[in-house]
Amino acid sequence: MLDFDFLEPASVAEASRMLADLGDECRVIAGGTALMLGMRQRMLTPSHLVSLGRLGALRGIALDERGGLRIGALTLHAEVAASPLVRERFPMLASMAARVANPQVRNQGTIGGNLCYADPSTDPPGCLLALNAQVVLASARGERVLALSDFLVDYYTTALEPDELLSEIRVPALPADASGQYARFLRTAAEHRPLVSVAFVARRQGAVCTEARIAVGASTPIPVRLPRAEAYLAGKTVTADVAAEAADLVAADIEPVSDARGDADFRRDMVRVVARRNIAGLFGLPQE
Amino acid sequence: MSQHPITLTVNGEAVQSTVPARRLLSDFLRDDLHLTGTKRGCETGICGACSVLVDGQVVKSCLSLAVQHSGRAITTVEGLSQGETLHPLQESFMQCGGLQCGYCTPGFLMTSCAMLAANPSPSEDEVRHGLNGNLCRCTGYTQIVESILTAAEKMRGN
Repeated sequence: MLDFDFLEPASVAEASRMLADLGDECRVIAGGTALMLGMRQRMLTPSHLVSLGRLGALRGIALDERGGLRIGALTLHAEVAASPLVRERFPMLASMAARVANPQVRNQGTIGGNLCYADPSTDPPGCLLALNAQVVLASARGERVLALSDFLVDYYTTALEPDELLSEIRVPALPADASGQYARFLRTAAEHRPLVSVAFVARRQGAVCTEARIAVGASTPIPVRLPRAEAYLAGKTVTADVAAEAADLVAADIEPVSDARGDADFRRDMVRVVARRNIAGLFGLPQE
Repeated sequence: MSQHPITLTVNGEAVQSTVPARRLLSDFLRDDLHLTGTKRGCETGICGACSVLVDGQVVKSCLSLAVQHSGRAITTVEGLSQGETLHPLQESFMQCGGLQCGYCTPGFLMTSCAMLAANPSPSEDEVRHGLNGNLCRCTGYTQIVESILTAAEKMRGN
């Protein structure tokens, strides 16, 4: 790892000014689990790291006035997984966070760091997309709120301006008749990165799906919503055949990446399987 | 490049030092404090041989900088025993054959130590999931799992 200077601003405004002054030469470090790897391999060679270690106000989980979640960007994956608030109101988010990488990384990596790194092969972005999450971007100039779908621009690329920090993730309350489930496929039981993920949120009356949100992650450069499959499910009584048909639409509408971990055809096939099982599973149907 | 004074607790003892920004926690423990029980394995965050406890939570010490841990309490494998008395996990790894070459063992001990602190009565499945961030190329894991379940029982006082 090449030498660098380590800066520890005491406020978001101070951090933002440092980022503005240093430009492309610097990187933000939160937990560091992803950044350290990039720097050790010299894929990233910043002259300065701006640490968020002193910005304790960016850590923690609270309910907003409408029953949604406000998750500080520096909240650890393990804290999201263990939070009684998250487990009670957004079990799908807690279940996702409990599966990120491995216990050690969950104890050190932050949810905000994960989103800013924009590595496609991780769990949080797809799950948060199906939950209609928003992100708060803060700088010395003020704050702005973006939909997660506008924040995630491309492979390892976000809408962050050079002087901005991700400060908070907002997850709006789900309607009372909605529930959701996060499912994924790993090539081996010990693999830390999903090959495919499908997040599914549905409003339902009995076996009828009145509204659906489906997001595929880990197989595409950024997670994507599937409007055709969502529209197909809306108003349908969900049977095994309906789940399979919706999964076919999901698989047909993505443009999977091909890389050493899996080619596009394999990923598309696995997206179809995971989507079918997830949709069937949420409606209490056999998943095979 | 930048140098940083750090103050932290390592295995119950106060430590003051000055480190360059790029000093990894794993290198600080091994090269500066000569606590070589913490192993450098893959150094890419996969194998877990470098696992230590930070304020009681297990992390991989190759994935963070020493300067990030100022003010924290670190426990390494050297901090598990009480003098000559081994920790129940160390005892059970010996008794159950939870190691062969032993290189991954400090990492497994620290991970299982944190696991049992959070959940004193894990099922076999929970133990296996809890070991997801540690690799062993010798044992095939069966005896490691057995070691941890045995230690858990001992620590519960049965």
